[in-house]
Amino acid sequence: MLSQPIAQLDETYFMTEILEIPVREHSEPLLVGALAGVPLLLAACGGGDMSEMPVALKNATTPVPSSAVLQGDRRKIAAISSSAPPPVPTPDALMNWAQAYFPNAFPGNQSNMQSGNLLFRYYPETGNYLGVAESTVYVLGPITGGVFVTAGRLEDFAALVSADRDAAAPANDFEAARFLLQAQFSASDAEIAAVRSKGYKSWLVEQFNAPSSVSGVAWLDARGYNLVDAVFRYYDNGYPGDYMIWNQLMTSPDAVRQRCALALSEFFVVSLVSLDFNWRSHAIAGWWDLLAANAFGNYRQLLEAVTLNPAMGYYLNTKGNRKEDVARNRVPDENYGREVMQLFSLGVHQLNLDGTEKLDANGARLESYNQNDITNLARIFTGWDIDQSQNVPTLEPVQNRTIPSTHYTRLPMVLTAGNHSTLAATFLGTTVPAGTPGVPALKIALDTLFNHSNVGPFFGKQMIQRLVTSNPSPAYVARVASAFNNNGAGVRGDLQAVFAAVLLDDEARGAAGLTQTGFGRLREPMVRLVQWGRSFGITSARGSWKLGDLSNPGSRLGQSPLRSPTVFNFFRPGYVPPSTALSASKTSAPEFQLVNESSVGGYLNYMQGVIRNGIFVNAPNQSGNGTNATNGYDIAAAYIPELALVLNPTALLERLNLLLCAGQLSAANQTLILNALNATALTVNSTDSAKRDRLAAAVLLVMASSDYLIQK
Amino acid sequence: MHFLDTEKQTRRAFLRRSGQLALTGTALPFALNLAAMGEAAAFDANDYKALVCVFMYGGNDYANTVVAYDDASYNKYSTIRGGGAGQTAGGIALSKADLTATLLNPTVALPGGRQYALHPAMSAMANLFNTGKAAVQLNVGPLVVPLTKTQYNSADRTNYPLPPKLFSHNDQQSIWQSSSPEGSTVGWGGNLGDLAMSGNATSTFTCINVTGNAVFLSGDSALSYQVSTSGAVAINSVKSNVYGSSAVRAAMTSLIQQPRTHVLENEYNRVTARAIGAETQITSALAGVNLATTFPAGNLSDQLKLVARLIAARNTLGNKRQVFLVSIGGFDLHDNLIAQQPGLLNGVSGAMAAFYNATVEMGVASNVTAFTASDFGRTLQSNGDGSDHGWGGHHFVVGGAVNGQAFYGTAPEVSVGSTASASDQGHVGQGRLLPTTSVDQYAATLATWFGVADSEIASILPNLRHFGAAAGRTDYPTNMGFMT
Repeated sequence: MLSQPIAQLDETYFMTEILEIPVREHSEPLLVGALAGVPLLLAACGGGDMSEMPVALKNATTPVPSSAVLQGDRRKIAAISSSAPPPVPTPDALMNWAQAYFPNAFPGNQSNMQSGNLLFRYYPETGNYLGVAESTVYVLGPITGGVFVTAGRLEDFAALVSADRDAAAPANDFEAARFLLQAQFSASDAEIAAVRSKGYKSWLVEQFNAPSSVSGVAWLDARGYNLVDAVFRYYDNGYPGDYMIWNQLMTSPDAVRQRCALALSEFFVVSLVSLDFNWRSHAIAGWWDLLAANAFGNYRQLLEAVTLNPAMGYYLNTKGNRKEDVARNRVPDENYGREVMQLFSLGVHQLNLDGTEKLDANGARLESYNQNDITNLARIFTGWDIDQSQNVPTLEPVQNRTIPSTHYTRLPMVLTAGNHSTLAATFLGTTVPAGTPGVPALKIALDTLFNHSNVGPFFGKQMIQRLVTSNPSPAYVARVASAFNNNGAGVRGDLQAVFAAVLLDDEARGAAGLTQTGFGRLREPMVRLVQWGRSFGITSARGSWKLGDLSNPGSRLGQSPLRSPTVFNFFRPGYVPPSTALSASKTSAPEFQLVNESSVGGYLNYMQGVIRNGIFVNAPNQSGNGTNATNGYDIAAAYIPELALVLNPTALLERLNLLLCAGQLSAANQTLILNALNATALTVNSTDSAKRDRLAAAVLLVMASSDYLIQK
Repeated sequence: MHFLDTEKQTRRAFLRRSGQLALTGTALPFALNLAAMGEAAAFDANDYKALVCVFMYGGNDYANTVVAYDDASYNKYSTIRGGGAGQTAGGIALSKADLTATLLNPTVALPGGRQYALHPAMSAMANLFNTGKAAVQLNVGPLVVPLTKTQYNSADRTNYPLPPKLFSHNDQQSIWQSSSPEGSTVGWGGNLGDLAMSGNATSTFTCINVTGNAVFLSGDSALSYQVSTSGAVAINSVKSNVYGSSAVRAAMTSLIQQPRTHVLENEYNRVTARAIGAETQITSALAGVNLATTFPAGNLSDQLKLVARLIAARNTLGNKRQVFLVSIGGFDLHDNLIAQQPGLLNGVSGAMAAFYNATVEMGVASNVTAFTASDFGRTLQSNGDGSDHGWGGHHFVVGGAVNGQAFYGTAPEVSVGSTASASDQGHVGQGRLLPTTSVDQYAATLATWFGVADSEIASILPNLRHFGAAAGRTDYPTNMGFMT
């Protein structure tokens, strides 16, 4: 009947002119006629395993009301659903699912077309159509004998699509690596195999439940950085903090937790750059441990831990913040009160569930809070200070200074009631009555922030941006925000549900992103280095892990973990690179705030040395800084499987393409790189140095390519 | 190529933005306007001129920078900030005795006996002021229309629109630099650059930042070129063989500059390609530059020294008009104001003085104007150990073309009171100054000096039309007069 895809046609035209049936939308005769065609659909799929036939469509062979479609297989549904009903699939999700289940009828991953309110896909190999309009699913083509079939409502397919998604597994190594590079830093052969055999979700849930590895504080202590050392004075230095975080990112087995904690560290920001007090390295380690420990917990608990963390207390001035003093003309410090709303929970504008901004009747954006809210909320954050109850001070004899022990850096701040404001505080429509003690007042305040409708989309969108793509569709944001609002069991703020929604979403997993010219994100420089290290077996021969501050854009990475220049992170979620194609369309690309004429070269120059030789370390035999005869490349990659492939550049490049790019290195650039590698002859008798040169050239070229730099 | 068709592009952009601005009529205080001015004007490119923006990130505490000095004002300041008895230091108030050496002596005294001194750490800036090389613009900040406190508190946002997202760091930085909150892509410095590009042989070097990425220097066609304090960063794998291989070097050179269909990939490679092209020119131009002027230690000083060296190389690089951005962070002193602000202000003062000296050495003192900007001013009221986010603040303009040794704008009342009395009308709570000069007025004054024709300003600055004599607001002049 139809040999060309339809386009520019509305549904009425589609039905009346093409199908030659009278329009009686959702009327009985059409429904009956449609259902009558379904057996043909089943026959067309006869090559598959009938026992796996989607229940909805199987049941649809008998004319039953759509609401009863799923009743035939309650047992299966019960097994895969929690107490809450599975989410209604989006049209895309439904069509993706149908493609996976009925590859004979709907082969390939076809793109969407729109005709009026009908969103549909056309499958040229079979001539079939699959579409959704107003939540009703339609099928048309040879498979239905040319009859326009209503297959049910989207909600009828909820359990099936959901179950299918839960069971989804990568079709190949590239898909597995793509997922791993979003969910963590790197993809090993074993991890690729595990994700393929277990499926995305099962593997991810395993990671959620995996034990935490050695904490940052424990690592510092094991290296002796907790000692009151009169020579090295660790209590006055930030460099152990750098070594701590690089060690955590490079070596911790709980890589998904580490990756999500790193994303959280760019939402809840404390920076080693601005910490200037005793044991700042322990404080930043305590901060990191807090993020890692709560990464798979609940946002509400995380927000409270963040608020009372001593490093955050110093960073945004809650520590020592005192109530108003009318006689001295003093008011509470507003810093945390402002930033907890602007950055850690609500954002400045009221948002819809899908992350778009709410508008008033005049089309103006609505601010989430005003200065009065800030001034009032600031009263809640008075009276808090560090907890020195476990302090065991030491006299440092050279400077004759009394140094506290490190305990306070990992204890939540405590309240001194006399310093807490007793004024009423009214913010965001909530009033904390005058005289409310500090602890219950804090609970009211944090509950109020936590329950604000902005948090799901505001937080969720930024997690998508950190892990998957700079410009997620509003529908993607809405799905993640919905997971924040309700994890399926009625729990709000479940971070496992949020990260699962981010990483398992069709938009993250689907093939469409691989061909869209705007999908993905610039890999952050610090993540590139960690990926390099983890991919190629990085070790510190003497365990020094002296990998320091790499913030210099002209000679290092222009970014170093836990060293954001300000509380606004290294880049803003709404940053639009000026003077680019992105600025014309107001498309954000947050990580591009780090990209300029200095940093592009700084990265390449730094990596050129690191990839070939490793990281040069001074005095790797001791914890303290200094220089001695042991200076050398203490931190280096082993490259064991890669060196084994060095005489076969094609195989070597295939491996790098998989591990570094998840198969996203273009064919043209593979050829470009291969030709460069082959230009220098190499044999089994060549020197180790020559072999390393080829290997390093391959890694450097891949990591310099924009195919790699933009993670899709 | 990005710079093709500049003339048409900027004219079109100007018309487009003019239309947009006329329609919005809301809070777009600063930059697009100046941008449009720049694009509409035609420069006489026979001489050289440069504007240097010194951005103080974090929001500088105005009250301890340009400090009320006459007894009546100082005593109010001291009381509000917790000063000690007998005009001594205390709380977050400075001692009056410590201010004597940095007292500003304007050629025309301020009305009402008002006097100001600079923070004691700013002796070099005080010296520039008192020798006529620097001016102080009092209480400047983003405004859409002139506002009284009553109008600020009014619910009538149609007649009394406010700049968006007041008191927020990132947004107010963006508004100072671009007139729009975060996400803005066109800054007024960059739009001056759009205008200036046609007069420059090498358009890449029209807008140069020696700090991190910022919207200030981005125009519709001009883009912000970034250099490090030691100059342009050369890419080793393009300059030399890689691990001994010329083939790898050639592959690298091609790979990192290739056009891509993916938008993000393409933009990344464009930056790299530009960096490679510009580096050779910058490096060779700077090689011939030797400045005798001593710059103090410090990152801002290093940045300004590099700017001075680039200005010295202006003929080699073929530039007639340039806009530079340098910055210094750390001003968000909610705590430790007394301990930490002196070092920062000393850095600004010393670096700007050295930079001025370098322009004298190069014979371009009257061709180069440096000015300060910041996210916002801060509260006058103390939160115990510091101050909170505010609005208006005081700023410095330095150079041989500055009508120096003078104050511009209006000295604000020293007050945190909230009564209806006249003395409490200059702030919107806790001493957050309600600006009496808009950033538009400040920028328009600089732009006029830079070469934008007066005749074009009124027609292309929709917000500026709410200011100045034509609006019946001679109390908000469109040219503040601090430039010759």
